[in-house]
Amino acid sequence: MLGKLIKHETRATRRIFLPLYGALLILTIFTKLVMAIGAPDFFSEAASNNTIAEITLGISFTLYFILIVGISVMTLVMIIQRFYKNLFTDEGYLMFSLPVKTWELVLSKLLVGLLWSAVCTVMIVLTFVIFSLGTFSMMELTQAIQAAYQTFFVETGMNLNLFIAELALFLAVNTVASILMIYVAIAIGQLFSQHRVVAAFGAYIVITIVLQIIGSIFMAVFAIGNLDILILNGRSAMSTIQWLINGSTILNVVFGAAFYYVTQYIMKNRLNLE
Amino acid sequence: MTILNTNNLTKSYGKKAALSQINMEVPRGRIIGLLGPNGSGKSTFIKLAAGLLVPSSGEIFIDGQAPGALTKAKVSYLSERSYLSDWMRVSEILVFFEDFYEDFNRIKAENMLKDLAINPDDRLKTMSKGTKEKVQLILVMSRQAELYLLDEPIGGVDPAARDYILNTIITNYKEEASVIISTHLIADIEQILDDIMFINQGELVLSSSVDEIRETHNKSVDGLFREVFKC
Repeated sequence: MLGKLIKHETRATRRIFLPLYGALLILTIFTKLVMAIGAPDFFSEAASNNTIAEITLGISFTLYFILIVGISVMTLVMIIQRFYKNLFTDEGYLMFSLPVKTWELVLSKLLVGLLWSAVCTVMIVLTFVIFSLGTFSMMELTQAIQAAYQTFFVETGMNLNLFIAELALFLAVNTVASILMIYVAIAIGQLFSQHRVVAAFGAYIVITIVLQIIGSIFMAVFAIGNLDILILNGRSAMSTIQWLINGSTILNVVFGAAFYYVTQYIMKNRLNLE
Repeated sequence: MTILNTNNLTKSYGKKAALSQINMEVPRGRIIGLLGPNGSGKSTFIKLAAGLLVPSSGEIFIDGQAPGALTKAKVSYLSERSYLSDWMRVSEILVFFEDFYEDFNRIKAENMLKDLAINPDDRLKTMSKGTKEKVQLILVMSRQAELYLLDEPIGGVDPAARDYILNTIITNYKEEASVIISTHLIADIEQILDDIMFINQGELVLSSSVDEIRETHNKSVDGLFREVFKC
């Protein structure tokens, strides 16, 4: 049943996102073509003599940025709206009478939310790649990357791959925890008989404050326990950063699990649709 | 065999009790009218049976099980709210129901849509409130469920469609299935009911078969209702 929920959740959201990403790709390719044909030196200091191409590029880059911002905002809005509207307004009467478990409802929304967040990131990277096509050679790029790995190893004594993996894990866990924090705030809002949206906002703010306090305590304990490392030199500065990243990842796992549990507990035991 | 039974079922919202100490047994193969004035706890009872609310105390069982994913597969619930997404076409909603409910009979649904002249390619947002209610009722009655919970099924539709819908209800359910209909439009549905349950201020005040009422009280259900709930 989880698979079916994910399928229908994807159907309900793709009708918004596919046209947006289609528009983004078309705009990117158009911009790239104009740049390649009309103004190859657009980003360099050299003055160009093709004014029409320059103006077109100015407009299409503006559109590009508006579209990127719009898609990012839309992704966040959809994550909130699909959870709130589909589960806690009139549509909830249908969703909660489906023969599925409550945790499957939460998980399907979360996974599809993550899917669109990932698509958003991948598409932005893809547009960068399209823009930069032909402006660098594969060999130069490989050499630059190799050099970066070496410099990193010399300066920190660490493998850059490990650091990148830890950073990626941190970002992934952080995204999941952020989405679950929105869910738990909305679920807490449902415990109130009136002004549930206001209550959800309130819950979100309170959770943020509590997390800040816990985070500060964590940092303080960490700092006191590692005073020697804080007297920085190259190597231990890096390991301090590594400690902070991994510590935050673990904290986010704990918070995320708590948010998920509370969300599905409220939905299962305290559900009261308006 | 009972399809639904309760044991001191109680539901309160804060301090206010919406249902208190309800004990009942609903046998299979019956059409039951859940009747009571506004705010008497009819919807609360139906939501508890549908698994949309959790009892404050006491228990409710559908076919011997507490409401959950398993019972929801056997229960076809029509909410008083319009619960379909506006952006969907009727045909997309049919796919949705077909995917989630194994007992959904798509052909039956398509035939009923045709009878009521509803185009499957229309989007919900282009429809009137009454048409949406018809679509919802068609979806709910196209399932071969064991228990139908219909919360105010005929409130917003015109009398002609009302007759069609009532006819659909009687002809569509399996013999061993039961139908619980909550309404205050008693006169309209009286002729299809086997049993009635009067509910007032969260309490079950009368539970009886329609024949019994006619014999012992020498009144129609509508007449008895007016007497019991006289303001």
